[in-house]
Amino acid sequence: MSGQLIINGIVNASLIAPPAIAFSLLFGILRFPNFAIGAYVTVGAFIAYALNVGAGMPMWVAGLGAMAGTAVVVWLSDVLVFKPMRGHTPVTLLVVSIALALIIEHVIRLFYGADVRGFDLPLERPIKFAGLRITGEQIDIIVMTIVIGIAIHLLLQYTRIGKAMRATADNETLAEVRGINTSYVIAFTWFICGALFGLTGVFAGLDLVIEPLVGWYLTIPIFAAAILGGIGSPYGAMLGALLVGLAEELTVLVLPSSYKIGVGFVIIAVLLLIRPHGLLGQPEIKK
Amino acid sequence: MSAYLISMATFVGFFMILALALNLQWGMTGMVNFGIAGFYALGAYTSGLLSVKLGWPVGITIAMSCVTGLIAGGLVALLSMRLREDYLAIVTLGFGEIVRLIALNEDQITEGPRGLKIDARPFADMFDRETYPLVYLGLVAAAVAVVFVIVECIRRSPMGRTLRAIREDDVVAEVLGKNVLRHRVQVFALGGAFMGLAGALYAHYVQNISPEVFMPMVAIFIWMSVIVGGAGNNWGLLLGAGVVMTILEGSRFMGDFIDFLDAEQLSAIRIIVIGVLLIAILRVRPRGLIPEPKFSFATSTTQQERQPSTENAK
Repeated sequence: MSGQLIINGIVNASLIAPPAIAFSLLFGILRFPNFAIGAYVTVGAFIAYALNVGAGMPMWVAGLGAMAGTAVVVWLSDVLVFKPMRGHTPVTLLVVSIALALIIEHVIRLFYGADVRGFDLPLERPIKFAGLRITGEQIDIIVMTIVIGIAIHLLLQYTRIGKAMRATADNETLAEVRGINTSYVIAFTWFICGALFGLTGVFAGLDLVIEPLVGWYLTIPIFAAAILGGIGSPYGAMLGALLVGLAEELTVLVLPSSYKIGVGFVIIAVLLLIRPHGLLGQPEIKK
Repeated sequence: MSAYLISMATFVGFFMILALALNLQWGMTGMVNFGIAGFYALGAYTSGLLSVKLGWPVGITIAMSCVTGLIAGGLVALLSMRLREDYLAIVTLGFGEIVRLIALNEDQITEGPRGLKIDARPFADMFDRETYPLVYLGLVAAAVAVVFVIVECIRRSPMGRTLRAIREDDVVAEVLGKNVLRHRVQVFALGGAFMGLAGALYAHYVQNISPEVFMPMVAIFIWMSVIVGGAGNNWGLLLGAGVVMTILEGSRFMGDFIDFLDAEQLSAIRIIVIGVLLIAILRVRPRGLIPEPKFSFATSTTQQERQPSTENAK
């Protein structure tokens, strides 16, 4: 029983990890929690749905299309909404991001309604071993998340743009002074994060369902993972995702599963009280 | 039609109480609260359950709603001890969702998604069915007035100045010897009590409460009311609550003119309009339609030379 829960937890973690990394990267340059991330994930799920079911494309093409399409949508959200408001207080931007999330969610509702949908995929038997079950799609999700994690690590650590991203997140003015084109770096960060949100939308469509609120249900676990790992720290976000993913599934042992979405909140509240800067984060010095 | 207007005005009243409470917490003290729906639900279910399950008189159950709101507000505020404001946003949102989850899942007590039927209404046997909505509107208006007077008194008092100091910079307030934590807990608890009151009044008005009413969306409408009106200004948000309700309800009549959209699509458009307006207002008039009045030193003759350079850098 608990072995199956651990497998579910790992799948859950793989679903949360890419957007948690993206949220962390975005927080590094924006300095406010962007509540629209769930809506971005929903956009990814619906683009993939439109390409897969609507246009009849194979799943992998639809997935890549969703990543590209969501990247553009996410970048546009910065250009149209957030960029003109840089320098406002974090709370103002936070309210703006919630309003943006509502707009995106209801634009999708306007065209697709509130029905629950799924991809057009052949039904596969789950693989069974030692009494445990896992579907082929879930294995794909886990493998792809590991690949993404390594790719992000290589990008941040060894490429020029990755180093520029870290420098900009660390201290934008200093990066600017050192000759980094920060507005280009910020746009690039939005694109990368958008692609990650789009991919998460595809994962959500594969493992959960496609509906206008699918991203909203993921928002809090994503926040929890990013905060748990230390907000602004992409590696912490991966660790955080693993812990939140497991915690959500393992609470089923003690609480009815309908309380699952409350777990993320409780983790956030407890952790912030004990360690306000997360597990791997550095304490911020207030000037 | 007039029955419809009365019911709309009653709902504006609930919005106004919630907005006044949020203004006390956020507009005046700078404490973010996205769990408004949770406090609202707590008030509604406290009063509803006490009157349905235990048969307590309505007056007492409504008072108990204020008490639970007060306690819940105080406890949530204790979390703010160590939290930055954006983290507090997430934690309060979480509080709201957990209240909703409990109301949804503990259905042997709360009746869950079926909805809790509440028969008791204040002064119900003293008036006939025709005039009762008007009486209830009067009751809600009285509640709005009381809350308004309390919040406005706090704003003008020395405590109000301390709260604004905490809002602008809590470290400075602390250094000046103000007990920041105590003020924050007091204000958040009082705001919670007002939200509980609004919830109780709502519960006995609609007489059937179910968890889906208390979605986080409620918080957005109230934030919108406060932001439109002008954070920190109690008069402005009375206007703001009216504006938001007019957009929400007024767009219902759009259906008469636009017949190629179904109800679901119309409600989606309604939310889109609210969202776009909210962003537009924050961008064009970030301090609202009626901004908080700035403090001038003109009355004090000894400080004539001082320039009014204390504009808060919002």
